[in-house]
Parts: sequence; C-alpha cells; structure tokens
Amino acid sequence: MKRLLAILCIVFTPLLAIAQESDWVRKGINIPEVAVYGNRPIKEIGAQQTKFDTIALKENIALSMADVLTFNSAIFVKNYGRATLSTVAFRGTSPSHTQVSWNGMKINNPMLGMADFSMIPSYFIDDASLLHGTSSVNETGGGLGGAVKLATRPANANGFGVQYIQGIGSFKTFDEFLRLTYGDRHWQVSTRAVYSSSPNDYKYRNHDKKVNVYDEDMNIIDQYYPIERNRSGAYRDFHLLQEVYYNTGAGDRIGLNAWYIDSNRELAMLTVDHGDHTDFDNRQRENTFRGVVSWDHLRDSWKLGTKAGYIYTWMAYDYKRDLGNGVMAHMTRSRSRINTIYGQVDSEYYIGEKWLFTANIALHQHLVESRDKSIVLQDGNKGIVGYIKGRPELSGSVSAKWRPTDRFGTSIVLREDMFGKEWTPLIPALFVDGVLSERGNIIAKASLSRNYRFPTLNDLYFLPGGNPDLRSESGWTYDGGVSFAVGKEGIYSLSGSATWFESFIKDWIIWLPTPKGFFSPENIKDVHAYGVELKGNLDIALGQEWQMGANATFSWTPSINCGEPRTPADRSVGKQLPYVPEYSSTITGRLSWRSWSFLYKWCYYSERFTMSSNDLSLTGKLPPYFMSNISLERTVSLKWADLSLKGAVNNLFNEEYLSVLSRPMPGINFEIFIGITPKFN
Amino acid sequence: MRYIATLFLLFASLSCMKWEYGLEEEFDITGEGLFICNEGNFQYGNATLTYYDPETKKVQNEVFYRANAMKLGDVAQSMIIRDGIGWVVVNNSHVVFAIDINTFKEVGRITNLTSPRYIHFVNDEKAYITQIWDNRIFIVNPKRYEVIGYIEVPNMEMETGSTEQMVQYGKYLFVNCWSYQNRILKIDTETDEIVDELVVGIQPTSLVMDCNNKLWTVTDGGYEGSPYGHEAPSLYRIDAETFTIEKQFKFSFGDWPSEVQLNGTKDKIYWLNDDVWEMDVTADRVPVRPFLPYNGTLYYGLTICPRTGDVYIADAIDYVQQGMVYRYSKDKELIDSFYVGIIPGAFCWK
Repeated sequence: MKRLLAILCIVFTPLLAIAQESDWVRKGINIPEVAVYGNRPIKEIGAQQTKFDTIALKENIALSMADVLTFNSAIFVKNYGRATLSTVAFRGTSPSHTQVSWNGMKINNPMLGMADFSMIPSYFIDDASLLHGTSSVNETGGGLGGAVKLATRPANANGFGVQYIQGIGSFKTFDEFLRLTYGDRHWQVSTRAVYSSSPNDYKYRNHDKKVNVYDEDMNIIDQYYPIERNRSGAYRDFHLLQEVYYNTGAGDRIGLNAWYIDSNRELAMLTVDHGDHTDFDNRQRENTFRGVVSWDHLRDSWKLGTKAGYIYTWMAYDYKRDLGNGVMAHMTRSRSRINTIYGQVDSEYYIGEKWLFTANIALHQHLVESRDKSIVLQDGNKGIVGYIKGRPELSGSVSAKWRPTDRFGTSIVLREDMFGKEWTPLIPALFVDGVLSERGNIIAKASLSRNYRFPTLNDLYFLPGGNPDLRSESGWTYDGGVSFAVGKEGIYSLSGSATWFESFIKDWIIWLPTPKGFFSPENIKDVHAYGVELKGNLDIALGQEWQMGANATFSWTPSINCGEPRTPADRSVGKQLPYVPEYSSTITGRLSWRSWSFLYKWCYYSERFTMSSNDLSLTGKLPPYFMSNISLERTVSLKWADLSLKGAVNNLFNEEYLSVLSRPMPGINFEIFIGITPKFN
Repeated sequence: MRYIATLFLLFASLSCMKWEYGLEEEFDITGEGLFICNEGNFQYGNATLTYYDPETKKVQNEVFYRANAMKLGDVAQSMIIRDGIGWVVVNNSHVVFAIDINTFKEVGRITNLTSPRYIHFVNDEKAYITQIWDNRIFIVNPKRYEVIGYIEVPNMEMETGSTEQMVQYGKYLFVNCWSYQNRILKIDTETDEIVDELVVGIQPTSLVMDCNNKLWTVTDGGYEGSPYGHEAPSLYRIDAETFTIEKQFKFSFGDWPSEVQLNGTKDKIYWLNDDVWEMDVTADRVPVRPFLPYNGTLYYGLTICPRTGDVYIADAIDYVQQGMVYRYSKDKELIDSFYVGIIPGAFCWK
C-alpha cells in the first residue's frame, strides 16, 4: 500500500507543480438544458442508440476505441491483452455480428468479418455511437448484434492551430499525438498523427506454470511459480489522419478523409508456453489506407449525400524459429491483401415536419488475395496455399418516418443486401416511439426487425477449411424500453433508460476442428439472446467551482444455445455461449474543481464460461473481471499556450488477472501526459 | 463528498478477480489404467490429462493440474510410457513433460522444441521427437532432458515441415510425414541418418506395425482446393524389411479415414472413417460392414485395450466442451461411457 501511495504521489505531484495562479481554463461538465420530448430528431425515431461524448473519446491519447467502449458501454469487449486484438459484441452475439463503419464506409475486415478496435485510436474519432440491435438496420445490414458508427468531423478551427501531447508510461510506453489545424469560413483542414510504442514487457507472476530446480542427477528438488515478463508483446503503431473540408456556405459540403495505419505488433506468448522467447518471433504487421471523399448537398427540405472511398490493407503474419545458428526460419509466413472500393448515395426528403423519407444505397467491392502458406508440391515445384477472390456487397434501404404529433412517431425501413450473387430476402424494420409523460420526459421506444449476415470470405474460401456451402446467418430481433430525462440548466441533469431485447439467430457460423487437423466453419447453432440494458447519466454542479458527473451502464445478456445436440453426448443445448458474459457493467465518475478534473472508471464482466456445456473446471476458469482506472488532469491557460498535464493509473488495485485464458494482463501501471496547444493570435 | 468516497470504496471492495493458484493433490494409483490426452482449444492453454481405471471405471480428470498445481499447456498431442515414466507431448507449449504414472507428478521436462508431436525412445539415453513446422527431428537425451541433436529431413522445408508417428523395426525407425507431405522415412537409429524413404499417398496420418512386421499407414488424401493435390485416401500395408508397399486399400473420394490402431496381439487393425472399422492384418479387402456403425457421434480418437480388446472411442462433440469416451467390448457391447476433457485425441495405456 505504501508503494502504491508513493507511486501515486510521483504520478500526480507534477500536476501541482504547474498550478500557477493565472488564467485557468475553466473545465468541467457542461450541463445543458434537458431536451424536451418534441426535440427528438425524426431520423432517430425508436432507435436504441448510445452516443459517446468528447470527454469519453478524448480522455486519454493512449486509449483505443476498445478501451473507450470497455469503460463507457455495456457491450462486451474481448481483449486478448494490452495492444492486441480487441473485438466487440452486442447483446450476446459474436464480434462478426457487429458492423463497424468509419465515415460511412464499412471497416469490418471482409476476410474475418470483424474489426480490431485496438487499432482505432480514440483521438481519431470525433463522433461515435452504438446502434443496438434493430437500430443498426437504419445504417447497414448484417448487424445481428448491432453497429458501431465512427466518424470524424471538421475541427471548427479559426486560423492555424497546433496541439501536441506526449505520454510516457510504464513498460517504456511512449504515446505521442500531434494535431495541426487550419480553418476559415470555407475551409477546415486537419492533420492528426499518433505514434505509440512499447516493449510491453510487464511483469506478472505466472500461476499456470512452474520452474523446476534440478539437482546434478536431474531430480526435481524444487518448483516455483516464476515472475515473468510479458514475452514477445512489443508493439509500434503509427496512425496518420488527414482531413479537408470545404463548405460553400450555400448548402454544399465537400470532405476528404484519409487514414493511414502502420502497425507492427508481436503476438505475446501464452502463460503455458515453455519456449524461450528469444528463439521465436511471432509478429503481425499491417499497413492500411482508408480514404473517403464526400459531398453533401443540403436544401431546406431535402438532402443528398454521396461518398466514395477506398481501403487497402496489407497484413503479414510471421512465425519464425531460431535454428540455433542465429538464422530465423519461417514456420509460418502468411500474407494477405485487401482492396475495397466503396460508393454510397444517401438522400433525405422532408414533407413538412411530420414526414421524412430516406433512401440509401452502398456498394463495397472487395478484392482479396490471401497467401497463407508456401509449400513444396509433389513434383518439387513451389505452390501457394491461399485464395484470390472478389465479392461485391451491395446494401440498399428506403425508409419512411412519420411523426403525426409531438408525442408519437413511427418509421419503417426496408433493406435489401446482396453479397456476390446472393440476395437476402427483404429486411424489414419497424420503429415506434411515444411520449408517456411530459413530466420527466418519459419516452417509450420499440423496434422489430429481421436481419441476415453473409459468411465472410474466409468462411467460404479459406484454405484449408473454407466451406462454400455455408448458409447466411439470419435472425429476428426486437426491443422495447423507456427513457427519461430531468434537470435544470446549469444545475443538474439526470437521464436514464431501460431496454428489454430479444433475438433469435439461426445458422450461427462457428469454426471447428476437423479430424484432418484443420478448422472448418459450419452452420451449427441456433441462439436465443435476450436481456436488459440499463443506462444512466447524472451531471451536477455542486457549487460555483465543483462539478460532478457520472455515467453507468448495466447489461444482462443470456445468450443461449438452442440448436439440436451435435452428438448424443452434447450438453451445450440450453446453455450460455462460451466467453459471453451474462452480466456486465460500467461506471465512470468525473469530478472537477476549477481547472482540475478527476476521473474514475470501473468496469465489470461476470464469470465467462470457457466450455459450451458451462461446466466449470480447474483449468478453464475465468473469474469475474473488475477493473478500476483513475486519472487526474489539470489545464493551464497561459498567454502563449494552453498546457495540460495528466496522470493516469490503470489497474488501480494491482489485480493479477486474465481476460482470456492464458493471456495475462498487466498489473498496476502509470502514464503521464503533457499537452501543449500554442496560441498564434 | 462523503457519498462519493463511500461509493469509491464500495467499488474498490468489489475488485476481487483472482487468478487462482492450484492446490497440489496427492495420488498414488497403481495397476492398469488408461491416460487420455485432451488437446484443449488451440491458443487457450486448456489441455488436460485424464486417467481412467478400466477395472473400477473410475475417471479422474485434470490429473496433471491437480497433482502439480500447474497447467499441462496448449494442445496435448500424444503420450507414451517407458519404465514407469509417462512422456506427455504438449505441442503448442513447446514442451514434453515427464510424469510419474502413479502420482502424476512431474519428474522433468524437455524444452527447446519447435512444435513437438510424438516422442519415441531408442534407448534410455536417446529419444526422437518429431515436429510440425520444422524440417528436423529432434534428438534428445531423456535422462538429462536436453536436446542433443537433429536429423534434418531432405527435401522438406521448415514452413511445411511435418514428421509424425514413429515405429521401430530392428535398428531402423520409420516415420510418416503428414502435412503437405506424402512419404515414410527410414532412419538408422545408430547413425541418426535417413537412409531411405517411400512415397505413399497424400498426407499419411498414422503409422503402426503389426505382428507380421508390416507397417500400416492411412492417408487423408489432402483437401479440396489444396495445391498439393486432393485424392481418394488409402490404407497401405508396407513390409518393414523390404520397405515396399505390399497392399493399397483405396477408399472413396471424400472419405476421411484416420487413427489407425492395433489390438494387443497386433493381428487386427482398427481405424475411423465416420464409423469404426476393424480388419485382420492379413485381409485382402476392407470389410463391407463397419465394426461400429456411425451413430451420430463424431469420433476423434481411438484406442484398443491391449489386454481385453475393448475398443475406446473419443467423441469431441462440439470441441468446446468436455468430450465423451465410449468403451465397447470386442463383442461391440457398450460397457461404459465417461466425460473427459476438451477434445480427447490421444490415448496411452499404462
């Protein structure tokens, strides 16, 4: 405890050092007037949506979107370790049931179907929202669990601006963020860069293995649990984002967004690996470019938006072994290239204030080259195990939204998806909302939809194991809930919502081992997922200089296998899906005083089963997961610049824990950030 | 502020997600028994070892963890017993554990391996360990638990390196090469050199030797779309003395035969191909009817009790729950069934 206090002092004391009495920037939480029910956007009738504010997104430059979602939403983030693959799943579904878009363009990997949220720096995202269940049909198809919408927006700069933040943390972690902006009446230009690196070699006591001590005759005379470092977990990620927006001022906006990623990450060894990390090199590299140009044409009663985009991804996986002479020979050398061309047209047409009609069509054309292995053929020549495939993915929708009175609204969406030459049946979605009480702004919402998800390209074509006979997954889902909002501008605001949901998913695709020694996907499960989502938000001005805010979420998500027994001995029917927590919760508390702000983040996942039969074994335990992080920040406004200094403590209580079996997580760790924003005028 | 502090303390008190230590349990189980290697899920480190007493029908799961208070590792591939010591090969943990077969306690371990698959003893001080993703067979000293050399396989690259099961005839050792391979190697155990090789079909998966010194291997035929080729699998009978193919039994295209095993007297072979099949080692054709027909169970592992002739078949079910082992008499009657660990793949008789 003394050590912890000493370290906390080291992290936070520098904040006091810059506490010069001068022109402090008054930070704190803006407490707006509570929106009255009539102001509900007609576009969002009945939608279950979670929006993230700037505080959550820009809280820490070192955070990925995976971290933001972990502590600010009730969706399940499966994290394989620090700076490793992180996937998200809604309402008891799988990560591939979550559709992810960036500035309108889908960024799910077409080979794998999922997106890695550890590769999305939160500092690159200005708008983020979750569309739960049915609500995703408003934006895209295939989101059996939901959709994550990520976007950038103009910086609203006036003249030149520069912001630079440096983060230095435990395990020799360095995070750097630079943003250059320029803006005038018509133009908004922004360049953002993030560079993160770390050997990531945090220490942990390995409970999964022991080290032997032998005598001269090689008899074991002692054994102990070793204190190890996270072996082969280093990473170096660079992101560059260029944005240019032009606003004619007469209803036309043109935008360009280009995002480049250069990532080089080692894949950390398991706790049960008895190999020497210097003998192996297990590494994944990725270069990705994503670019979108957009044109929005706005008039009083209608809007037309067009987008065109391109994604190029090169991924390399290398697993090498030292042959004993210093030469690292490839055990696995896998390469893949993905080219995606994207186009989208959206239109909206208002008839008075009561009707809104929308139409949308989006095309993603994927061209994938997967080279998984180089082999020697029977005739002695070389061959490649892999596939080259292209697939167009077309998704179109029309909707009619009607709000005859301020108290009631309804909308219907009809969507149709095409993957390759396959078309889904019509995907309908129906939404309603209504005001139950003006007092307390109590609003009820409900929605119902059908949805489909096509197999990914790897599901169909991966060698070995791809299964071209797979059927699309399909599902019905509905939800209903109530929300309220009360408050007084500048004094307090309190809002909350409760939602019940239920989904039935058929033909769930799962990769399973085969007797031939490789994995192959099959449509094997029917899943019934249901549960409750609760959200709450409270902001209070405690006095002239004190403000407090808190967000909380809670989810109960049984996700039950309802398929037929796979064999007579199958005990998985009627059981919770493995690795899907039944309960999860988050709490974020903020306290600000003058130019100081303190943030406390807490999240919880209930015990996750590692077996489909929900049996508990000694070697397959993933106990409940609790995590507490804190940070303290101070901002200083000088004549020539705004300065900020922040200290963050992660895993505050220094828990020894695993998020996934055999993947140790770091104990208590620290990071300090120094930010400077020069003033040019 | 008092409320805030109270709330903070409340959540702090909830922080109790312990990564537990195991407790060492004492075993002393003598007599005959069967070890079952449960592979576990690749990359999840949940391989386990099960012990079954055929006499009492008592099942002990997770015996390695319970005896040693540590995990067996990631993908338990195979096990053999020599002089009261069990050698458990844990593929993706890069280790071979040596355990006392009565107490299940570790007595040593061999490390510095690439991706071990099987171990074979030449003598007390020399054993071979085959690998996947390595074109070398590792030579180890089991007494010192150390790697002492390698046998490099010609015309095999590291990336598609694959050496599997081993059978010894006199001073010669035979090894089947499986993944993207099509041959059986012949190694002189005195010189540790490959002296011959025999091309069979695509991807031979198993290797045993019967009472007549005939080697038996079965190929899986590759898979659809494989650049290495895809063909109908075959069962081969190979004369160990002359190292020539005596007989090829062809299966239908699309069949997946695997797990060739022998009974105790080594005069019958068994294999899986949806059903369980049995054949005399002198037979000229594959039987028309299976020994045990497919009954909705996806068989993954197979062994025959060398003493009673009972047939044990492993059902991996959906590969993410405890698998089931069915025990049949040689008269095809179900004697017992019991749950083991995740993906039971290999057996070892004590």
